[in-house]
Amino acid sequence: MTVAALGIDAGSTTCKAVAVDADGHSVGWRLESALPRVEAQTDALLVALALELGAADGVPVVATGYGRKLVRAATRDVTEITCHARGVFADLGTGGTLVDIGGQDAKVIRIDERGRPVDFAMNDKCAAGTGRFLEYTADRLHVPLDDLGPRSLAAPRAEHISSTCTVFAESEIVSLIAQGADVDEILLGLHRSLVSRIVAMVRGVGLTPPLLLSGGVARNDAIRELLGRETGQPVRLPSAPQLMGAYGAALLALELTR
Amino acid sequence: MHDTIPSRSGALAVAREQGRAIVAVLPYHYPRALLRAHRCHPIEVWGPPFEPGDLGALHFQAYTCGIVVKATSFLVREGFDRVDAVLVPHGCDALQGMGSVLGDFVAPTPPVLTFYPPRRARPADRAYLVEEIRALGRRLAEVSGHTPDEADWAEALAAEEAADAALADLYHRRGRLDVDDRRFYEVVRAREYLTAEDFTALAASLPEHDGAPDADGDVGLLLSGIVAEPLDLFDRLRAMGARVVADDLATGWRRVYPPSTLADPYERLADRLLAAPPDPTLGAPLDARAGLLVERLRASGARGLLIYDVTFCEPELFAVPVLRERVTAAGFGVLHVEHELGTTLPNQTLTRIEAFVETLR
Ligand code: SF4
Repeated sequence: MTVAALGIDAGSTTCKAVAVDADGHSVGWRLESALPRVEAQTDALLVALALELGAADGVPVVATGYGRKLVRAATRDVTEITCHARGVFADLGTGGTLVDIGGQDAKVIRIDERGRPVDFAMNDKCAAGTGRFLEYTADRLHVPLDDLGPRSLAAPRAEHISSTCTVFAESEIVSLIAQGADVDEILLGLHRSLVSRIVAMVRGVGLTPPLLLSGGVARNDAIRELLGRETGQPVRLPSAPQLMGAYGAALLALELTR
Repeated sequence: MHDTIPSRSGALAVAREQGRAIVAVLPYHYPRALLRAHRCHPIEVWGPPFEPGDLGALHFQAYTCGIVVKATSFLVREGFDRVDAVLVPHGCDALQGMGSVLGDFVAPTPPVLTFYPPRRARPADRAYLVEEIRALGRRLAEVSGHTPDEADWAEALAAEEAADAALADLYHRRGRLDVDDRRFYEVVRAREYLTAEDFTALAASLPEHDGAPDADGDVGLLLSGIVAEPLDLFDRLRAMGARVVADDLATGWRRVYPPSTLADPYERLADRLLAAPPDPTLGAPLDARAGLLVERLRASGARGLLIYDVTFCEPELFAVPVLRERVTAAGFGVLHVEHELGTTLPNQTLTRIEAFVETLR
């Protein structure tokens, strides 16, 4: 196994690195919670991955994510839009419409038949429609993050949460709790609220099937299920949804060697 | 080439030395030669971006654009003390509101003049505009104490039309100019406050490439919107491998007024304003504007349209869906971003623009 290129995704919530061989197959990865010192963390993460896999010095590195400009070891930096598109395209072998829901932003990317992003929308100004929205409200309801999806899907009906804004949604939750509403039904309402926000972004960009889903929130089954229901499209997930940015970055780094 | 462009304060001092009354002018369209003929000098107020806006925010709803809020704040803080009058053209509802707030509530010492350009170019609109320019002239005569004679008119029209021709020529020579985008727009925007002759000399001083211009594989963009602030935007675009090959900015190409052959000065000024490139604040039909943008994208070699709007700018936002649809249908990429009219660019905005440039490669 020879490491031919590395990709690093310095995201707002997590920091990910992926190594690929000369054929573009993933041969190793690391994922950590993001620390405030992006330079130091990305240096250490890349060194650790390279040592673990025996990567030679001088392997090209492409950085992506909000901290991409701060990655000292990067040969080049590329936005997360292009990297996610490239990573998901390589993993699933198809273009389409990708929804990527990360910790602090959500993106919808239309990917062409060559794996290139042709249009996109980003929600990055507030927590509405992002993992942070779920995290915050889960915390408010004292529900572990991993239980959010299963408990929502088990709810027989949903409470209506009209706001996609984290702060306003919280006040709606407070009122619902005060009225004795069921927690799982509130959770389902929250998931619906988030998905409605995402679907509006999908409509803005235009849905070209298949519908693809990546990012940390892709681990939540309820999001996948509701997104499919709302759009009428089956939702496909790549093998490692959280690593697609770093994987795409590694593939772009590999292109630098050609 | 002038290395440093005089500041607004410098231009104000020059105009004072020439015995002109200083008029702070809000965006966008106004008959500049009318001011000169009346021995007035316009210094335009577009924010400014560095102004915190707190004093203006006291007077407006939270959803008022940064230009109006910051301009009001700036005038209250220091602007009113430095000028002899303020002119608020009615470019949009926000500016109209500003004119009312300044006149009725702030009531500063310098008089607040308003100017209402029509939204159409029918014969009745033309006749109305001529009268509106005459009325503004009477107010300016009160400010400066000077009523122009024939020689004043001839001098003012010649000087301002030469400056407008120099601006048009800058756009015409753009592909040959040996200056980066930042410098180009610094010079274009100097038209907002320099005297006509200083601007004409500055524009003429921009050097051209010796040989063929260096195409260097950058992604060409057509930049639309009100104002490209902060100017760092151009440096960041260059670092992303993009450059602006044409614009549809209210502070740029939308004020390249065509010449007029009419003899009467008021009719001539009206004629030129009505012939301005399509602009929502002059009520230009959206369809014509979209069609022309597509033509200009093709002619300039741009690969995409970057719509860079001031947050809460209603006239611009209203047009975005139609522009997006028409420009996309013609095969060009479109990105719409909003900015707060400040001195820094948020990382998220830069990421969107950079991703857009990547999609156009
Ligand atoms: S046209 Fe737009 S940016 Fe300009 S003053 Fe009106 S609302 Fe503000």
